[in-house]
Amino acid sequence: MRRALTSFLLFLVLGAGTAWAEEGSAPGPFDELGTTVLGPTEPHWVWVTDIIFRHSQIFDAESGRMLGSVDHALGAFPRPPIFSSSRSEFYVVEARYEWGYRGKRTDFVTVYDATTLSAKGQIIVPTQSAESAANLAYSALLDGNRSLALFNQFPSQSVSIIDLESRTFLDSIPTGGCAGVYATGAQSFATLCGDGSMQRFTFDSEGNATDSDSTTPFFNAVEDPIMMNGVRIENRWFFVSFAGVIHEVDFDHSPPGTRSWSGVSEAEREEGWRPGGRQLTAVHRGLERLYVMFHQGGSGTHKDPGPEVWAFDLTSRQRTSRFVVPNMDATSLAGMLGLDGGFSGWLLQQLVPATGADTVAVTQDATPLLLLRNSALPVMTVLDAQTGAHLRDIPEIGLTGNRLVVPR
Amino acid sequence: MSRLDRWLEDSARGLARRSGRRSFLARVGRFSAGLIGASMVPVLPVARASNEPRRLPDEVEGPEGDPGSCEYWRHCAIDGFLCACCGGSATACPPGTSSSPVTWIGTCLNPADDQHYMISYNDCCGKGFCGRCSCNRNEGERPDYHWYRANDINWCGGASSQAYHCSVARVVGLASEQQPER
Repeated sequence: MRRALTSFLLFLVLGAGTAWAEEGSAPGPFDELGTTVLGPTEPHWVWVTDIIFRHSQIFDAESGRMLGSVDHALGAFPRPPIFSSSRSEFYVVEARYEWGYRGKRTDFVTVYDATTLSAKGQIIVPTQSAESAANLAYSALLDGNRSLALFNQFPSQSVSIIDLESRTFLDSIPTGGCAGVYATGAQSFATLCGDGSMQRFTFDSEGNATDSDSTTPFFNAVEDPIMMNGVRIENRWFFVSFAGVIHEVDFDHSPPGTRSWSGVSEAEREEGWRPGGRQLTAVHRGLERLYVMFHQGGSGTHKDPGPEVWAFDLTSRQRTSRFVVPNMDATSLAGMLGLDGGFSGWLLQQLVPATGADTVAVTQDATPLLLLRNSALPVMTVLDAQTGAHLRDIPEIGLTGNRLVVPR
Repeated sequence: MSRLDRWLEDSARGLARRSGRRSFLARVGRFSAGLIGASMVPVLPVARASNEPRRLPDEVEGPEGDPGSCEYWRHCAIDGFLCACCGGSATACPPGTSSSPVTWIGTCLNPADDQHYMISYNDCCGKGFCGRCSCNRNEGERPDYHWYRANDINWCGGASSQAYHCSVARVVGLASEQQPER
């Protein structure tokens, strides 16, 4: 009985196969399986990091296409890839345990080839690299692309220095009372301190601190703190405060100089306008234009998403534009419901309340794109960074995440 | 109103609710932080604890009294999943997890007695995201350089496993003053 059944099944399979082969008179050519590679990193590419999927995916914000991805090991909050143009490499700071979430911990930096996105190796670092919800300023590639600096929180604040040439950890520099790491040179970095100052450290080829200097306190860490999200033009770093004061720190001088000006008028302040979000600032270096997410709210809303992006000219210290954030809630819902952009899409735009964006990035080319996302929504929206015109939405960027990183 | 209309409206309202302050990201994860335990709290420069003997912490209850609610009075500066929804409670970690040895603090107003209390938000560590009752409130929360009030930091980094599971909200003292806010 079993033999009869087997023969019958063979007849069906072979018979069907023969019939299929006879239908086409000139079959082929048949596909070969391949693997894509990336070309040189382009100005409109952006890394999108997802906390749930534990990966970062790179998108072309011009076409909306996803181009590739890298994974993140078990740390709770993935740190987005760091790009080295001169080495054509991406670096991802990770940590893992021997047995899932248990056992011996290993911290490491994975080195990826920038065109194949294949891992070329890893650099073991001490098990002290810190993590935060957004990991803003938790790692920095220093000038010249030779050194990588990682912020450590436990057991005490310090910064680990990694030599990317030899792929070795050099040493850690204590930075007690301060947090974050901001590149200020080939062998120097700065950090934000609880007394309202920034301290700069210089180190030697062994990773040992050789010098440090500090600004005078320029913000009040209790009454009007500045956000961790700093942006850089040459050797000047820019920060915004909870109340909307824009602070500039100039590391061309020693001690570094500072200056501050309000990005909010008195009338706007009375209306409750203030900065808010996660990665809430971005800068176009060529235009010297600062972009900041703004919303109306009271104290305790400094991480809330905002309905507007305000653009400031850093030379004149004037606001140049207020851009309205497109309704990403409606776009997301339309995507979930499988609706197109016709009448149903328009209807959703009218019905669904927009919650704004909490994450912003800008490309650095001559036709810059302003990239926006809301941590809670699976869509990224793209604006013309000079006019604020809504160019496109990119769906299915992940489940949740608060980082957008433009590698070039 | 048609069934489709009702469904669309419900979806829209639900999305709006989910996308507010306690957004999905917030629900998913940001979290917490932890300080060195209650013993260090009185020396902090802000929100100093009173030395006066007071009611035991767990005797303090709000009018709603639901530790599984984001609106619960103790949660004014929490960020993460509420352990009360994850097999633990407002003061205890769920089975198989361990509390972070260090934590961040908040100063929250208990509407029941109109007093400000210091809250220690210990993270519970060693398992992945609980994924339930996500809550992010930032009243008095400060950036990472003001670390003992920073709820962005993964305080499980100070535990034996940095895997973040959920957060508790322990009352550790009476605040002698309200936090300066802006």
